[in-house]
Amino acid sequence: MFKLIKAAFLGLIAMAFTASSYADITFVSWGGAYTNSQQKAYIDTWSKGSGVTVESYNGGLGEIKAQVEAGNVTWDVVDVLPDQAITGCDEGLFEKVDQSEFLNDLVVPPVSECVVPQIFWAYTVFYDKAAFPGKKPKRMKDFFDVKKFPGKRGIHTWANALIEMALVADGVKPKKVYDVMSTPEGIDRAFAKLDTIKDHVVFWSAGSKPLELVSSGEVVMAIAYNGRIGAAILSEGKDFEYIWDGTVLEQEYLVAIKGGKNTAEALEFMAHASSAASNAEQAKYIPYGPMRKSSINIIKKGEPWFIKEGGNIDILPHMPTTPKVLKKAVIADPYWWADNGAEVSERFGAWKGN
Amino acid sequence: MQISPFLFGDKIMNERTADPILTTEGIPLKVSLQKAERRNKIRATLLVAPLLFFILITFLIPIGDMLLRSVDDSYINTVFPKTFEKYKKWDRQGLPSEELYKTMFFEVKEGSGYSIGKATTRMNYAKSGWKSLLKKSKRKFKKIEEGPYKEQMIAIDKRWGDMEYWKALGVMVDPTTAGYYLNAVDLKYNVDKEIVQQKENRRIYNHTWVKTFKVSLLVMFFCLILGYPISYLLSTLPLKYSNLLMICVLLPFWTSLLVRTVAWMVMLQQKGVFNNLLVMANVIADENRFKLMYNETATIIVMTQILLPFMVLPLYSVMRTISPNYMRAALNLGASPLHAFWKIYMPNSVPGISAGCMLVFILAIGYYITPELVGGKDGQMIGNWIAYHLKTTLNWGLSAALGAILLGVLTVLYWVYNKLVGIENIKLG
Repeated sequence: MFKLIKAAFLGLIAMAFTASSYADITFVSWGGAYTNSQQKAYIDTWSKGSGVTVESYNGGLGEIKAQVEAGNVTWDVVDVLPDQAITGCDEGLFEKVDQSEFLNDLVVPPVSECVVPQIFWAYTVFYDKAAFPGKKPKRMKDFFDVKKFPGKRGIHTWANALIEMALVADGVKPKKVYDVMSTPEGIDRAFAKLDTIKDHVVFWSAGSKPLELVSSGEVVMAIAYNGRIGAAILSEGKDFEYIWDGTVLEQEYLVAIKGGKNTAEALEFMAHASSAASNAEQAKYIPYGPMRKSSINIIKKGEPWFIKEGGNIDILPHMPTTPKVLKKAVIADPYWWADNGAEVSERFGAWKGN
Repeated sequence: MQISPFLFGDKIMNERTADPILTTEGIPLKVSLQKAERRNKIRATLLVAPLLFFILITFLIPIGDMLLRSVDDSYINTVFPKTFEKYKKWDRQGLPSEELYKTMFFEVKEGSGYSIGKATTRMNYAKSGWKSLLKKSKRKFKKIEEGPYKEQMIAIDKRWGDMEYWKALGVMVDPTTAGYYLNAVDLKYNVDKEIVQQKENRRIYNHTWVKTFKVSLLVMFFCLILGYPISYLLSTLPLKYSNLLMICVLLPFWTSLLVRTVAWMVMLQQKGVFNNLLVMANVIADENRFKLMYNETATIIVMTQILLPFMVLPLYSVMRTISPNYMRAALNLGASPLHAFWKIYMPNSVPGISAGCMLVFILAIGYYITPELVGGKDGQMIGNWIAYHLKTTLNWGLSAALGAILLGVLTVLYWVYNKLVGIENIKLG
């Protein structure tokens, strides 16, 4: 017995030593189905010396800024939104990266010198088909029409995309949305449109929440991240339907935090994570649109691409980056938000609270 | 000086001479005593040192840092020192001179990208648009080789010719600012550095302050109403029952805050357990389900449940010390039960009430995660805005100002309480 304990103890020590000879990369992302897809697409296939520890966060640069200012950086690679990618790169929170490998392969140019491409995701309105037995909502303006389609709406607690959607619902062409938003009257117009559903909204802040809200019948329609809707339809067999009209496309990037303990490895990992193959691979598990043109081609050739037990499924109908969707979609402008985000957010806060 | 004779022997007591009193080793007693005491003092200090150090590192320094951040505006001065020097001479009538433009031009062109990036975040608080203006300018200035600069800068972006942008710089010239505090109460500096009200559709904080106090007071009140009888019961029941009841009070205390909050969501939402039961029992119609979740009501209900143990525990420990004989005596002397309670029991339990109310109120006022999860659009409190500015807008100055005001308000409340009730009247057990 004693020998056994001793052996186990020595084993533990040995494990501790082998583990500590490589520092793990800490990869921070949003959790849920999204992080799951990242895990399968490029974390599990990462075979360099170090392991990868995955953590979740709720976005924002606050924690990153705190780590960098305190000189105690514990995160290495973080999955960020474009406006954070801009601000963080400007303020020197992120490492600059070599972008030559993918620069000519992207659907839109990268927002800063610190990023490697991930995916396009979208704020998309969806509903449970059972909630509308008769006429079904089809356009963004239906989401804002509580007379025609009564019931609560699930919306997120911040202003991004809601301003754009309100304007599309009010008749602004998707391509003209930011021209209108750049005038004070345009913002007033968006808030006036939001007023029409104000008494009918339920707010959510975690990405899994709108799906629960719609599933439980707490709301009849909700805005959600399109990948979560897709995952619910494809993997859980939910009978949800998208409203692609006025959907707002956002970019998603990876960055390396400056002053991390293993920056060199983090950069290597990012190169692996942003390769055309990895970008395409991710779409096997979640219907977000790759940013790399070559990845989209890989998927097209590989359909049915989405992995499911009992037969794979075509993924392109669930992607926000098909030409059909792009025609009706707004591509979010991170520069506009970096500039006006604080002001509009405060106004949105006032709108929410009063 | 009175010293016990047993401590130092007969010698001291008997020899009352002019000579200093000596110990058996021949050292004056005073010195020897001091020595012994010093040793004790050092020992005591060493024992407290880790705690002192801990409090200094985790409490005093962060609070000091927070207070500094709430007024600090010096960073931007280190990025544009020359521009601000020249700026002070500008008469604010008409566009600045070529000289000021030139200084700004070179400080933008030659400044490090990171420091300008950080500065623009600050400048954007004063006027939205500075961020993109400077970012664009930084890129384009590289191509400009020689002056005059004014026209070329305006040609790059017409905002360089907009007085509002130049005037907005004036708010940032001083190394300290009251601007964050103003923002925290819906005021602001306009571009001429006069204090004005925030635009009506951006006023959020006063409203939230009022709400925060209202919710905290209500939570405190409900905790007291609910906690008082339980504590009474706990303190009067025989030990074997009261222990069981105590576990019931403490059990939620041991459960994760998030689990409890989410459990309430399941209970209270429109298609949740509570509403379903009522509909099933035909108490309410299906379309008239109560709206108990994602609003202020939800915040109050859930916070009351979560904070209840903080009321019960001090109440219980004080009530346990109230002798049942007092009440018996009062009843025996002819007081009605209500009268006896009001005149005898209640005043005796005041220290517990005070302690419980203080604890619950102080905890409630800074609450953040529960309102965030169940508060919906009208149940958000000031803590949510602090978190929002910390995490999302990176406006740490404003976060710090909001936090400092919260700290100030609590200090004032504590002071008032001390004047009215007396702090020695608080008892936790």
